[in-house]
Amino acid sequence: MMVETGIPALDKHLHGGVPQGKSLLYYADPGVECNVFGMQTVHRALSEGGRGIYVTSSTDPRMIRDLFEEFGWGAGEYGDRFTIVDGFSGLIGANSPEQYVVPNPDDAGSMTQSIKQMMEDVCEPSVIVFESLSTIMDLCGESATLDAIEEWNKYAMLYDHVIVYNFTAWPYSEDTLAHVKETICNSVVLIGGIAAKVIFGQYFGVKKTDWDEATKKCTLYKVLKPGGVRVYLPKILVTGPFDAGKTTFVHALSTKAVSVDRLGTTVALDYGHVDHSGFTADIFGTPGQERFDPIVKLLSGEAMGVFLILDSTNTNDFARAKRMLEITESIGLPVVIVANKQDMKGALVPEEIRRKLGMTDDVPIMPVVAASCEGVFEAFDVLVDRVMEVDST
Amino acid sequence: MTYNLGISKMDELIGDIKGGTNIMMIGPPMSGKDDITNIIAYHGLINKNAAVIVSTREPGKNVLDWFENRALGIPPEHIGIVDCVTRTLGFGAPDTENIKMASSPVDLTGIGVKISQFFERFWMEMQIKETRLCINSLSTILMYSNLQTVFRFLHVFTGRVKAANMLGVYVIEDGMHDDKTIVTLKQLFDGMIEIRGDDGDYQIRAIGLSPKPTPWFDYEIDGVNIVLRG
Repeated sequence: MMVETGIPALDKHLHGGVPQGKSLLYYADPGVECNVFGMQTVHRALSEGGRGIYVTSSTDPRMIRDLFEEFGWGAGEYGDRFTIVDGFSGLIGANSPEQYVVPNPDDAGSMTQSIKQMMEDVCEPSVIVFESLSTIMDLCGESATLDAIEEWNKYAMLYDHVIVYNFTAWPYSEDTLAHVKETICNSVVLIGGIAAKVIFGQYFGVKKTDWDEATKKCTLYKVLKPGGVRVYLPKILVTGPFDAGKTTFVHALSTKAVSVDRLGTTVALDYGHVDHSGFTADIFGTPGQERFDPIVKLLSGEAMGVFLILDSTNTNDFARAKRMLEITESIGLPVVIVANKQDMKGALVPEEIRRKLGMTDDVPIMPVVAASCEGVFEAFDVLVDRVMEVDST
Repeated sequence: MTYNLGISKMDELIGDIKGGTNIMMIGPPMSGKDDITNIIAYHGLINKNAAVIVSTREPGKNVLDWFENRALGIPPEHIGIVDCVTRTLGFGAPDTENIKMASSPVDLTGIGVKISQFFERFWMEMQIKETRLCINSLSTILMYSNLQTVFRFLHVFTGRVKAANMLGVYVIEDGMHDDKTIVTLKQLFDGMIEIRGDDGDYQIRAIGLSPKPTPWFDYEIDGVNIVLRG
């Protein structure tokens, strides 16, 4: 049985998730948010009716519960299906209300004893997430921790638990880093930062799995509160002829949007931010009138995908629509044609539109009524699928 | 890209500090290191720099209050505070525009993430290239983590300060650590602000930021000014 990570794009790359009894390592660059990956994986298990165990090493257990709340994953809802192994309180000499407390968090043996006890008590296959393997390594030493991990993984395999580690790759010895990255876990997901002087973007990608040929590709992401890890598409273009409904489409799709318009028509751009089904995207709408064509080209640079919006009742503008794909240099990018105003009299159905546009079958045409949000998210899902497909080839 | 400390006589002797410089500030307890750190940050803020302050001893709100109470006219959106205290005290405070919460001083991963998030905001969103990173203090971090761990953390972040031509100031308590700790950490820094004295009689000097160390100066903190004598 596969256990999902809770990050749909990652589960897809892993071909469904992590098999029971296997281990997964989230291996992150310093300064890149990593712990949320493990938290999201625990949350996914809990929300599916399973059991989740979180081994904390640098955070007070009460704060862990608060952090889950901040992401919108009320840990309290899951009662005793959510367990914290407290490997922090012992470090600062504080009392702990948790059932499992590591008395000496700076001793790998003490940590192992608590972990084993917990695994023996929790018979049903569970998801066990270590908040920070690097903190444990800092406290217990590199070699002792690496030995302990072998033991934890064996025990997890015995009980069919999925074991997940968050690890920040501080400048440990090259041997340690290579060992962590290559050997200790069945699968490794790299989490990195895109840096130019400072880190300004984050990505994840599967480095290895030993149960299947994983899809090796990098995917941009953002962390939202609430929400957690969301695949991030920095630029989706929305273009099309004048009065096709581009602005309405951008606003219908977006959680927040703004438009620069005058007398009801866009004169510069529409901008919107979408957060839907595990993806987050910034979308940019162009003006449709020909006199704005010079800025349309400027707006379209570096887009990852394109919505071409059509008024399904106005065949006169179809040639202009095709021309706009050329102006925006969108040929070759993933395109979804949005057949808008499907509720209006005389609206052509998608197949008629395809014929009139002379579009091949591989370009999806989605029926939409942007004014009432009908079909907008379905169109978004289709474009995202196509962007992700292109990205992986 | 160059910086000044905002300590007038000392700045004249040192000249401009080039971007990418990491400075250790070491001095005895109660010698005003918190104020001096904040004043160095303040001096950047009034010159449209940004400041990221990692606070391991005071809740972030207190640090923000320091600026709001003393330093009128600075752009508050240029201040980022990484608070390593509030959550350790058991208060579940959420992040705000100015203050991001780390779980504890042990949580170097979290501290690093919050610093990076402020860097990203200042650099990429606000296009502020001159940023000061102040960590106050390394001594607290060293109470929870061993020297090697702290060295690794600093190795990464002094490197980022250097790469991005920022100014880094890292506070450490004199007399709290053995010589090996200080010598090890010194390797990571380009210069030092040294404080000595006792019973309210303190002196300050800078080493490594100019060809010769500056003389020792008696000093007094007056609001957002450090007044040097001698």
